Amino acid sequence: MKLEGTNQLHAPRESVYQALTDPQILARCIPGCERLERTADNAYAATIRAGVGAIKGIFNSSVRLENMRPPEHYRLVVEGKGPAGFLKGFGDFNLQAQGKETMVQYNGDIQVGGTIASVGQRMIQATAKMMAAQFFTALEAEAKSTDAPPKHGFFRTALRWFSGWLRRHL
Amino acid sequence: MIPAQFEYQAPQTLDDAVGLLARHGQDAKVLAGGHSLIPAMKLRLAQPQLLVDIGRIKELSYIREVGDRILIGAMTTHYEIESSTALKQSCPLLPECAAHIGDVQVRNKGTIGGSLAHSDPAGDWPATILALRAELVVLGPGGERVINADDFFIDLLTTALEPAEILREVRINRPAGKFGQSYQKVRHPASGFAVVGVAVSLGLAADGSCEAAGIGITGVDSKAYRASQVESALLGHPLDQQTIAGAASHACEGIDANSDLYASADYRKHLARVYTGRAIQAAVSKS
Repeated sequence: MKLEGTNQLHAPRESVYQALTDPQILARCIPGCERLERTADNAYAATIRAGVGAIKGIFNSSVRLENMRPPEHYRLVVEGKGPAGFLKGFGDFNLQAQGKETMVQYNGDIQVGGTIASVGQRMIQATAKMMAAQFFTALEAEAKSTDAPPKHGFFRTALRWFSGWLRRHL
Repeated sequence: MIPAQFEYQAPQTLDDAVGLLARHGQDAKVLAGGHSLIPAMKLRLAQPQLLVDIGRIKELSYIREVGDRILIGAMTTHYEIESSTALKQSCPLLPECAAHIGDVQVRNKGTIGGSLAHSDPAGDWPATILALRAELVVLGPGGERVINADDFFIDLLTTALEPAEILREVRINRPAGKFGQSYQKVRHPASGFAVVGVAVSLGLAADGSCEAAGIGITGVDSKAYRASQVESALLGHPLDQQTIAGAASHACEGIDANSDLYASADYRKHLARVYTGRAIQAAVSKS
């Protein structure tokens, strides 16, 4: 099954790339990720409880990052298996800077087999789309927070000054 | 083929059922007709720790007409709706849709509430409920609330129901004046699920123009949706061939269609447009 899509994230390219390759951030963003441990350079073992509604399956997976060209490209290679079935595949991520935003374009190929594929075939693509959307929403939040914006914005500072001025002069 | 171990409770009242769900949270699952949950459990794709069987709660199975509203209890089976002579008069879309579901065994046991709460992307009821602008009454630990059909379906197998809430009733405004309805479906030959299903409910003015339109489409996206662009292309216009064809071409506007081994995304979209046209046509001819 081919998977592709683009997501516009409101964060600069460097912080998005950093978030996309940081195991701790990935662990928080991958839907249902319960464990992500480093096994070698850019290689991790993960336990993922994936599912929608009442349908759930646990996958023990290995995740590898390849062809890394910061901050524009890398390939994510995943293999996983569990009682409900197995999956293996890869995704190529391309990051494009657009001002202060980043366009993440991904395309990949994933094979799913076992029980989940034989009875859930008609829902696999929709599940993948849903999980990708959850992943990017979480990632955007993480990338924004690593971007470390000033604690108080201009307007808040201005408002404080103005209300103080009012109190002093009225 | 043998499910994982689970606890089983069959409360006698709805309040007891909600209490059980509130205590067990995500580990508990409501058992209605069991035609989606039980197969998933047998394949061990679903492994709830506790099943709360609401099949013994008599107060959940009814079809009533009160004033200008039709009230259907969540545990009413597809067959009970399919065979209701009252509904065939007052809102024929409901029995027509029910007759398209699965096979006789599924219709005898499966329930409208179970189907809606499961929100299968190819289920038949979601399209019909959207076309009829139904309201869904749910009961939770904090009491009762009413959710519009438009806000009920969130995503694949995901609804606005909280873990401790139970769908209790479907409320529909009885169509008034001159109206026409139809449900048209491309049936998956093996499963009986909708490859594409289109539910149409139209209200017609005295001059034959369209004054109300509800169109729900299932099977195409991750969840059933209301084709609002088709609706607005019909409103205020005479329902001739040209208007119908023009309106039906908007059936998949903004929709990212699913594809699987049986039907590619493009084929699904094509089917949705063609069947939207046919369903509108059929609704007009029944008005």
